[in-house]
Amino acid sequence: MGNENLVKDVVKEPYKYGFVTDIETEKIEKGLNEDIIKLISQKKEEPKFLLDFRLKAFKKWQRMSEPDWAGLGYKKIDYQDIIYYSAPKQKDKISSLDEVDPKLLETFDKLGIPLTEQKKLTNVAVDAVFDSVSIATTFREELAEHGVIFCSISEAVKNHPDLIEKYLGTVVPASDNYFAALNSAVFSDGSFVYIPKGVTCPMDLSSYFRINSGDSGQFERTLIIAEESSSVSYLEGCTAPMFDTNTLHAAVVELIALDDASIKYSTVQNWYAGDEEGIGGIFNFVTKRGKCLGKRSKISWSQVETGSAITWKYPSCLLLGEESVGEFYSVALTNNLQQADTGTKMIHIGPKTKSTIISKGISAGNSKNSYRGLVKMGTKATGSRNYSQCDSMLIGDQASANTFPYIKSQQPNSEIEHEASTCRISEDQLFYLQSRGIEFEEAVSMMVSGFCRDVFNQLPMEFAAEADKLLALKLEGSVG
Amino acid sequence: MEIIEKIKTNKSIDNQTEIQKICLDKLQSSPLPNPRSEQWRLSNKSKLSNFLDYSVNENYSKFDTPYPKNSQSTVRLIIGENCQIKLIEKNYSIQQLSEDELHKYIKEQISFFNQNEHWSDLLNLSLSCKNNILGLKINGSKIPPIEIFSHASSNSLNAKTLIIFLENNCSVDLLQVNLCEDNSSLSQSTFFCLEENSSLNHGVVSYGVNKSNLLNSLNVIQQKNSEYNLGSLHFKFNYARFEIRIKQSEGNAKTNIKGMQITKKDEQISTYTKIDFDGPNGFLDQINKSLADDKSHAIFEGSIIVPKIAQKTDASQLSRNLLLSNLAQIDTKPQLEIIADDVKCKHGATISQLNEEELFYMRTRGITLTEANKLQLSSYFQEIIAFIPVSKDRWDLLDKLLNEN
Amino acid sequence: MQSKMKESDPILEVENLSASTDNLPILKGVSLTVYPGEIHAIMGRNGCGKSTLSKIIAGDPSYNITKGDIKFLGENINSLEPEERSQSGIFLGFQYPIEIPGVSNLEFLRVSTNARRKFLNKEELDTFDFEELVKEKLEIVKMDHAFLSRSVNQGFSGGEKKRNEILQMALLEPKIAILDETDSGLDIDALRIVASGIKKISNAQTGIILITHYQRLLDEIKPNYVHVMSNGQIIKTGESDLALELDKKGYEWTDNFIKET
Repeated sequence: MGNENLVKDVVKEPYKYGFVTDIETEKIEKGLNEDIIKLISQKKEEPKFLLDFRLKAFKKWQRMSEPDWAGLGYKKIDYQDIIYYSAPKQKDKISSLDEVDPKLLETFDKLGIPLTEQKKLTNVAVDAVFDSVSIATTFREELAEHGVIFCSISEAVKNHPDLIEKYLGTVVPASDNYFAALNSAVFSDGSFVYIPKGVTCPMDLSSYFRINSGDSGQFERTLIIAEESSSVSYLEGCTAPMFDTNTLHAAVVELIALDDASIKYSTVQNWYAGDEEGIGGIFNFVTKRGKCLGKRSKISWSQVETGSAITWKYPSCLLLGEESVGEFYSVALTNNLQQADTGTKMIHIGPKTKSTIISKGISAGNSKNSYRGLVKMGTKATGSRNYSQCDSMLIGDQASANTFPYIKSQQPNSEIEHEASTCRISEDQLFYLQSRGIEFEEAVSMMVSGFCRDVFNQLPMEFAAEADKLLALKLEGSVG
Repeated sequence: MEIIEKIKTNKSIDNQTEIQKICLDKLQSSPLPNPRSEQWRLSNKSKLSNFLDYSVNENYSKFDTPYPKNSQSTVRLIIGENCQIKLIEKNYSIQQLSEDELHKYIKEQISFFNQNEHWSDLLNLSLSCKNNILGLKINGSKIPPIEIFSHASSNSLNAKTLIIFLENNCSVDLLQVNLCEDNSSLSQSTFFCLEENSSLNHGVVSYGVNKSNLLNSLNVIQQKNSEYNLGSLHFKFNYARFEIRIKQSEGNAKTNIKGMQITKKDEQISTYTKIDFDGPNGFLDQINKSLADDKSHAIFEGSIIVPKIAQKTDASQLSRNLLLSNLAQIDTKPQLEIIADDVKCKHGATISQLNEEELFYMRTRGITLTEANKLQLSSYFQEIIAFIPVSKDRWDLLDKLLNEN
Repeated sequence: MQSKMKESDPILEVENLSASTDNLPILKGVSLTVYPGEIHAIMGRNGCGKSTLSKIIAGDPSYNITKGDIKFLGENINSLEPEERSQSGIFLGFQYPIEIPGVSNLEFLRVSTNARRKFLNKEELDTFDFEELVKEKLEIVKMDHAFLSRSVNQGFSGGEKKRNEILQMALLEPKIAILDETDSGLDIDALRIVASGIKKISNAQTGIILITHYQRLLDEIKPNYVHVMSNGQIIKTGESDLALELDKKGYEWTDNFIKET
């Protein structure tokens, strides 16, 4: 019973994370040039190698042009009209959570991510990122006992510069694409995770990203390193206030798994999507990539994408290590005028590598939902396998669903299998549910969540419930 | 480089027809299609550029159709040969289109062309002279099977154009054969218009010798209640590209396509298909098979476009690929673009080698590896060959594929 | 009677055979000798290595022989191709006969039969003569002529697939037939058909190895020897009453043998 009521309650709610926290912030001037980058680097007291990394990336970015191949229609972004660093004003040095501005704690409380010692979630360690900076990371001492490093990337730069210098930009080079180059030049904060050899991380790690100000972009950077025989599950959540302007979010996530290591990365993305007329919303242009460097290593991406005006995101796996495994499980739901262009790249380089892709796209309203993927078998990927399944569900006759799989093989002793289908909610099924007394909208959300079951099963428990609720919420008014 | 320079022709501008002028003009800006465009991205640039290395041949060079025994009932035409035809029988008629009709139709088609997508057609129409354009209108019932040959002779670039109107309610079996001699290029553009309730079983068999090149473009418009069945086979080309564009202009039509390309040595053969459903209740069943051996490269790109108007479309597209060598390459990209909600669309793709378990099973029954391979391949080929109409048995296609190739 | 059999040379000798797949050892020193006219049964739990043994004798390239020899009519066949083994008279009846879509059953049977005939220096049969031969053999397995025009095993029921295997055996007339769980998944009528097919084909010159879980096939065809396999080894060999005992006491009973050895 509880569950049903929950869905109903949620269906009636508007975007509930749309509030703005009134807090004094320190912003630098708008615009992007070498001085701005030097200023960001200086504010963060970064070592020289990192400033060089940023400046090199900026030079590359200047020579690149914004991609238009995805066929996403949006107004050109004025990169000089964005604030690249915005942080809530705080005391210089915070020694404990008690010194964090209560308004910030309250904000995260309202988002359902309490950070204080008394209220914090018991089974998840959280790194809370507010605009450009990390506010707090919980459970640090407990994690440290196991040798796990979980902190903001700014802190990691200070405390573990060797690891940063060794791994930053090795999975997603600055020159990879336009937005990755931009991020490499201006990234402000993000999370850093290091799991030492042989350690199974004792709890889930989570980052929560909050965009608060309307005119600053968010460019976070996440780096996760799993040493030999270690494993970690990492969750990422995102929300933003409602503004009638578009805010740019261009993150880079890099994962590295060594021999026998496993990383599970789950995202529930619920950035503000804009209103029914398509005014406002986040441009979510993200580069996420994992490198299965070690033998038998495994990287698994699962994502529920429901927010953002435009999403452009392809969490990918480079399968180098022998018998390494890449997985991608995705639900992307678009409504109103949202556009989602998402998928994955599975690049099989090493022998006996395996990948699985399960993608479920649901498009409602006037939205556009595309799966774009690449599966490639390199010449040395002997004995490798891929299975992909991409299903689309269309709700209403104005929405569009596209599937663009790209399959390339140079290795005869490998197998690639791709299947895709498009369906609508069947009238018979709807009628059956309704004849059992289930309300129309509820029947629809039941069926949508059934459609997504394969993916939800991959999500950590709390996320799966949240994802279900989110879908119901997003579908409100899109049927009938 | 200007296309005029690239194309080796003796003809002066003054001798060009209006259509040739229009097309050349459109081509001026891109002697070769833009490799950055999606449709041409995987095309081997140097091979494509070889295509234009030969000088244009407008004359009819003596050509013996390789398969004798033209059965009495089959109508056999060779494009470029003086193939005047005016068959008016009791039940049917096969007649040539008048020059005016041809001119009007081609001009109209050109106005819809998009530079990159229709580059092959633009090239074809800028090269194809009056003698090499065959236009037919067919109507009636109990029409005999038709065979149409296009031929490219050695050391030359040949352009042949075929335009056929299939009038209401008629039904035809048509086999189109494109043959290229050694060191030759053939540009073949075909335009079919299937009027209401008509049906066409179309076979396309294209093969070359060494260093043969082919740009084969097929454009089909299907009016409502028409049925178009295509069985196609392309093999033995240094470079070949088969473009299929089908438009169900009002939906309510049926399209079945079974195509295959086989590449060996360092050949590159690609198939591009674009199926537009411009009305409701359309049906498509498509399968494309590739086989790539040695150092060759086989490509398939298919797109299915289902706009809002095309409710109740039922479309399926399969890409099955066999990769037989470590140095060969297969690219496949089946794409769906759907806006209508009440549709059934699916696509699938597989790339693998011959099934090992099947091979072992046959070998335990004393069948040698080579023979077992042949059996598997022939079953792989057979599905496509069986779909090619018009006395296909006479063509020994299977034998050609298994032995000669 | 037994000593009389052994006057002739053995058909098949498996000597201390070890084999692995993907570096995983499956067989760990199996020895087995089959003389003309003998019927051997190999029993054991799933995964004990019975099927692997049969596939290795038939030459499955996915296994590597790491130690030991397989001799057929006195010759070492370790490195022979599967088709050479078949042509010389080794037949494997598959537990799961493979479906080969698109390849006609008739054509498959003809090519296979002719490969064996060629080896035996017999005249190869054209389609016409082969149809005659196959008609006669279809009787043995009570199969309809219509099976011939279908693709190899495609869409066949479990029983039909097994009968198709016996049909192939009848056509190939092997020196030794290894039947891997040919009885599993069959109803009692199909089992009788299969059993009588096997009986018709076996004679004083041929050897048969039956791989099975169940007593019921052995009720129909009485084996001379019963071998129990476990963990890649033959842990006990007895006469036909061993099978009966095994049927009564179950495989747990054999666990003791492992401890003993």
